[in-house]
Formats: sequence, C-alpha cells, structure tokens
Amino acid sequence: MRRQLKFTAVLLIIGFLVAVQYNTIQKPEERDTRDMWAIRNDLSSEKKLHSELLSEIRSLDETIRTYESLSAENTGSALKETVDKLHDEMGMTDKIGPGIIIEVEPSPESIALGADIEQITPDLLTRFVNELNRVKWSALEIDGKRYTTLSSIRDINGFTTVNGLNVSSPPFTIKVVTDTIEDGEKVYNTLHASTIHDDFYLDNLILKISEPKEQIEVKGWKEEIHNLQLKELRKGE
Amino acid sequence: MWLPLLGLILGVAFGLLSDIQIPQVYSNYLSIAILAALDSLFGGVRASLQQVYDDKIFITGFFFNIVLAIGLAFLGVHLGLDLYLAAIFAFGVRLFQNIAIIRRILLANWTEKSKNPEANSGNERK
Repeated sequence: MRRQLKFTAVLLIIGFLVAVQYNTIQKPEERDTRDMWAIRNDLSSEKKLHSELLSEIRSLDETIRTYESLSAENTGSALKETVDKLHDEMGMTDKIGPGIIIEVEPSPESIALGADIEQITPDLLTRFVNELNRVKWSALEIDGKRYTTLSSIRDINGFTTVNGLNVSSPPFTIKVVTDTIEDGEKVYNTLHASTIHDDFYLDNLILKISEPKEQIEVKGWKEEIHNLQLKELRKGE
Repeated sequence: MWLPLLGLILGVAFGLLSDIQIPQVYSNYLSIAILAALDSLFGGVRASLQQVYDDKIFITGFFFNIVLAIGLAFLGVHLGLDLYLAAIFAFGVRLFQNIAIIRRILLANWTEKSKNPEANSGNERK
C-alpha cells in the first residue's frame, strides 16, 4: 500500500509536469511585434495617463487636507463643497468661461439648389464630438443641450437626439467652454485644420467657427442622472 | 493499480486547469525533467516487478535524477556544450531497457498464468 502511495505521488508530479509542459508548448506567449514608434506611442499614452492620475491624486489629496483642516462642525460644508465639485464635473451646473461658438448651417450651395434641409445625423455629430475630444475642453453644449460624459447622441424615431432631446434642424449652435483662452484657441485651430468640414459638407452643412471669446455661458444639465450599474443599498438590509 | 492512475489523472488535471506556463527558455529543462521522472518511474516499476524495490532508492532516485538532469542541461548551456543530449541519451536508453524488461516480466507472468490457470485459482482460494 505504501508503495502504491509513493507511485501515486510520483505520477501526480509527472502528470503535473507534463501538463505544464503541454501548456507551455501549446500556448506560447504572444510575441511583441510592435516597432519602435508603436512602442513610443504606447509609452506616451501611458505617460499621459500617469500625469492625469497624478493630478487626480493631487486634487484628492487637497480634498483630504480640507477635510482634515476643518473642525468637526464644518465637515458638512466640506462635504457640500465636494458635492458641488462633483456636480460641476458631471456638468450639472451652469458654466461660464472662455470658449468658442460654432454655428452649424446649411451650405450655400444646397440653399441655391433648393435642397431639403435635413437634420444632422447622429454619426456626424458623434464624429464632431470625437474630433473635439482631440483637444481639452471643459463644457460642451449642443443646441442648448449640455453634453457630458454620460450623454448619448442617438437616433430616436428618425430624430437625432442629445440626452434624449431632439436637435433642431440647422442652423443651430454648438458652444464649447474651455478652462483658459489658450485652450479655446487650440480648439479653434484644431477645428479649423480638421477634415470634419468635409464630412459636414457631404451632408450639405457647413461649420462657422467664431474666434475664441472671453465669456461664454453654457447651461447645466438639470435632469437627474440614472446610474444603472450602481444601486443604492436599502437601509436595514 | 488504480490509485497511481488516479494520481496521474489528478496531476494532469491540476496542471491543465491551473494554466501555469513557464517561460519558453526553460521549457527545455522541463522536458528533460519529465524524461528523468519517467525514467525513475519505469525503474521503480521494474524493480517492484523484480522484487528488488526499495522505497528510499525510488524516491531519492526520482528527485536526484530530475535535479541532475536539469543541472547538467544548465551547465551545458553555460559551457556552450549540448550536455542535455547526454541526459537525453542516458535516460532514453535506460527507459527503453526498463520498459523492455517490464514487458518481458509481464509476458512471462501472463504465459505462466495461462498455462496452469487451476494452480492460480487454487492459490487465490487459499
């Protein structure tokens, strides 16, 4: 019996070794075939992420310091400050700052030819937002509807909507608020240089981009935000 | 008979399910280790069939052979000499010899059993 146990142990080890060897041979690690520039690109995006995380950590540290420096009775106001800040980040407050105004209008050619003026398509609007995301901006309003990270641009019953509200037919305005006037200039230059104009022109639309202005106001998004992933825990459960 | 087989199945299942992988560089060492382990195993089976089985020799031989084979291969890599071939040769030849001996013993047992089944069944009744 003892002999059998020994053989069992030995066979167990052999089986394990064979299985590991099989794993290694069958599923070799994927070779890294990126070239120098691809790796550099990845590195730069990681560095960007790193600096973003660092700045986030710094702001959170500041919040912690505020909490600590305030006395017990003032904790409420510190909490309120945080809530306000979060509301601000979510785009629920009105925002005033430097920025640019973009007018979306039907192209003069389509007017001359008497073509029907059609609503902007969700694809084009999404493309525009993506193009805008190349640069830094702090608030965006599309035809009076505040666009946040939680917003959706989609087709509902044939109408293009932002946050579930119809976007009116051109002409309408898009407002972009930035943190600084320099950022506003960057948005302005990027949009001017981008090929998005061609995409708009294919849909018989043109973009009129204003020079960066000192003060622009966008409205907050007053709707309640429904979080579908996180649910509140009921008390007593 | 069944217990060692169960051990083998358990070992393979554990290895496959745990999805452990070793770097490609070391896969040579592992294959030599497997060869050494198999050599010890068949040596053990042969010894037990020849009634000369010893626990200590089997267990120490098992681990010592594995370590020796890996060490030899490692040394070979560092000396720029294919020493692992020596291990493969030695274990391979021994493996075949052991399996041949096991086959002969099993064959002899089987022919003996089929020649006088009465004697065997009589033995069993005892």
